[in-house]
Amino acid sequence: MLAGNMPLFGKSQKNPVEVVKQIKEAMVALEKGDKKLEKAQEDVSKNLLVIKNLLYGTADTEPLSDIVVAQLAQEMYNNNLLLMLVQNLTKIDFEGKKDVAQVFNNVLRRQLGSRSPTVEHICAKSEILFTLIAGYEHQEIALNCGTMLRECARYEALAKIMLYSKEFFNFFRYVEVSTFDIASDAFSTFKELLTRHKPLCAEFLEINYDKVFTHYQQLLNSENYVTRRQSLKLLGELLLDRHNFTVMTRYISNPDNLKLMMNMLKEKSRNIQFEAFHVFKVFVANPNKPKPILDILLRNQDKLVEFLTRFHTERSEDEQFNDEKAYLIKQIKELKSTTSDQ
Amino acid sequence: MATPSSTTTNTTNNNTTAADNAPLTAAASIVWPNTRDSYELREVIGVGATATVHCAYCKPRQEKCAIKKINLEKWNTSMDELTKEIQAMSWCQHENVVTYHTSFVVGDELWLVLRLLEGGSLLDILKHKMRTSDCRHGVLDEATIATVLREVLKGLEYFHSNSQIHRDIKAGNILLGEDGTVQIADFGVSAWLTTGYDTNRQKVRHTFVGTPCWMAPEVMEQVHTDHGYDFKADIWSLGITAIELATGTAPYHKYPPMKVLMLTLQNDPPTLDTGADHKDQYKAYGKTFRKLITDCLQKDPTKRPTATELLKHPIFKKAKDKKYLQSTLIAIGPSLETRVQKASKRQPGTSGRLHRTITGEWTWSSEEECDEQSSDDEGQEKPLNKLIEVPQSSDSEHESGDEHLNLVLRMRNSNRELNDIRFEFLLGNDTPDGISTELVGAGLVDGRDADVIAMNLRVLIGNQTRDRPVTFALVSGCNSDETPDEKMLVGYAQLSYAD
Repeated sequence: MLAGNMPLFGKSQKNPVEVVKQIKEAMVALEKGDKKLEKAQEDVSKNLLVIKNLLYGTADTEPLSDIVVAQLAQEMYNNNLLLMLVQNLTKIDFEGKKDVAQVFNNVLRRQLGSRSPTVEHICAKSEILFTLIAGYEHQEIALNCGTMLRECARYEALAKIMLYSKEFFNFFRYVEVSTFDIASDAFSTFKELLTRHKPLCAEFLEINYDKVFTHYQQLLNSENYVTRRQSLKLLGELLLDRHNFTVMTRYISNPDNLKLMMNMLKEKSRNIQFEAFHVFKVFVANPNKPKPILDILLRNQDKLVEFLTRFHTERSEDEQFNDEKAYLIKQIKELKSTTSDQ
Repeated sequence: MATPSSTTTNTTNNNTTAADNAPLTAAASIVWPNTRDSYELREVIGVGATATVHCAYCKPRQEKCAIKKINLEKWNTSMDELTKEIQAMSWCQHENVVTYHTSFVVGDELWLVLRLLEGGSLLDILKHKMRTSDCRHGVLDEATIATVLREVLKGLEYFHSNSQIHRDIKAGNILLGEDGTVQIADFGVSAWLTTGYDTNRQKVRHTFVGTPCWMAPEVMEQVHTDHGYDFKADIWSLGITAIELATGTAPYHKYPPMKVLMLTLQNDPPTLDTGADHKDQYKAYGKTFRKLITDCLQKDPTKRPTATELLKHPIFKKAKDKKYLQSTLIAIGPSLETRVQKASKRQPGTSGRLHRTITGEWTWSSEEECDEQSSDDEGQEKPLNKLIEVPQSSDSEHESGDEHLNLVLRMRNSNRELNDIRFEFLLGNDTPDGISTELVGAGLVDGRDADVIAMNLRVLIGNQTRDRPVTFALVSGCNSDETPDEKMLVGYAQLSYAD
């Protein structure tokens, strides 16, 4: 069966050792800068295309057989090619950068039985991950790095390294950069890291609660409309995920968080109001409200009932929203101070 | 003077105040800034439901550009859809694909900085020429069409090699630079093939039933038997565009969308003569050109040539250079000033707040936006309005009051992608049951949902206010691995007015 695929490989007249050797030479030349830049770029891109076509196939050729891909990947690990490619990404030309991402992601997805050899390789060379994260600092490679990072984040072992690194906190800066496509790409990677592997994420958030939510607060207060809207939405999703029960409990016990949400309910933007509603409801629905929370709600009891009654009334067709709103109004109306309960 | 890209390691959050003082000669090497103050907004050149396109001037670079301002408050769907469109553009660097410079947030607007294509869209030019000269025997000549299509094909070849599909190729999305450059614009509906850069993108992929006149039969039928051929849908649209450039309109432009679907699915593929009033009307166009059209318009997508193969088609021996287009298209087209006047005439009040009549729910479907920078009068309309026979004078386009209702049924198809199915409802003529049966007959909805759709159509039409969509559970439900979700329209569908 494998032999049946071999002639295809023979036809291309490239063997993995040769291919990796060539691209490595081209990369070294590019890195050193001893050739003319354009010439070195051209060499690298040509070789990248060869590898990409071997991995993905082209209109006329099939992708390589598993065994040859295994050899190719092994050669790449041995020569530390993945790190070299990401470290020099800014020097590679526009199309070449995209090919790096395609090659990287293809090799990363490769499985050997139940093993993912590239994941193991990157675990041992976590510098690859941190170089990719730092890619968000550079406009011309940010999106390429983003696609590779999200592919990495699909693997729990790699997501864990990233979450528990100091570099993770750079994301709070990247999601707010002024170039929209980069900020939103960073945001989707950030979200992936915080939501993909539920138990891992929950544990991370519990252990790093203070640090994460101090940073998160800044996103919610961002000057940037998109950052505010997206981070508020993600907050709602995080708090409503049952894996994050402990984190949610902690979050909704803090009166400052409640005050922030009440202010966001009154923001000019209706989309932000709406997202804030979905966080606010958790505070109200909490059957064991701590006293400071209860006090705030009681103090604003009448105003809140009136506000919610008029809140987004045009969403008449959104049954779930209306049910929730009715429930909140009822809850708030029935609030009594704790002293009377005793 | 341009600095090699490899050395410009400018960080993304750089501020451009320093660049403002840069010497003149360095202007071209200054990165496109992403602060509002770096740009001077000039005249409006396009208006749509969620976006306005301005001609603009980038002060640090001392260069003109186009700025598309998208109102994010009207963007009720996930921000991912928008990110997808912009990323699709930023993955492209090609002479024939619209040049994206940068994007940034200003208040609750997103500003996209794009290359300014002063010639406008080919649709602008077609309309203008048809208004100002006798086009009964064809609008553009073969050499012009071949020149344009060759450029479009080069852009498509690049697109497809990037594992991207455009999905909305038509004259309205082909833009012209003053120098005769041809660029494909509007990535609103572009999709990524599954082998694309980011496997996550699959989730956000959607099919549009938006501009049926240009749509390939397999897209209408929603059959995706072999994803390897998805990009052939663009080749079909290119064939329709070839007819459009010659005759001025897509073959079935006279019919309402549902009828277009049926004609496309049931009839033989259209030809140059499909919409002709009399025999020999388009006899000026030769065999080779007709052959190009029949090659593109083959119902079996696997039989259609690829963009690369088409570029070798003999018709392109007739193709000329940019200069030629300058003389045949730019010179005859409406001036930017004319288009600007038309755009501003329609612009209600301040910039950015547009078309109050359009329900906020639908803003993300890009066909409601006007084609980028295209600002011809009819370019302002939702493309489907054009399918209804409107009188020549565009100013009286909504003359018929309540008689025609343009409606949208939004629901997921068998691939779980969100679709907008647009159709016309003629009060006093159509019945909810009739339309619902038609939708089932066209294979667009599950037979089990016929009754519930008819029922909710009745509700929608009976409503006093038109800005309220009707959402309802589908009898056909959703897949076993999905949870019904009203907001995400999983197991639910939504009916609303299109305008």
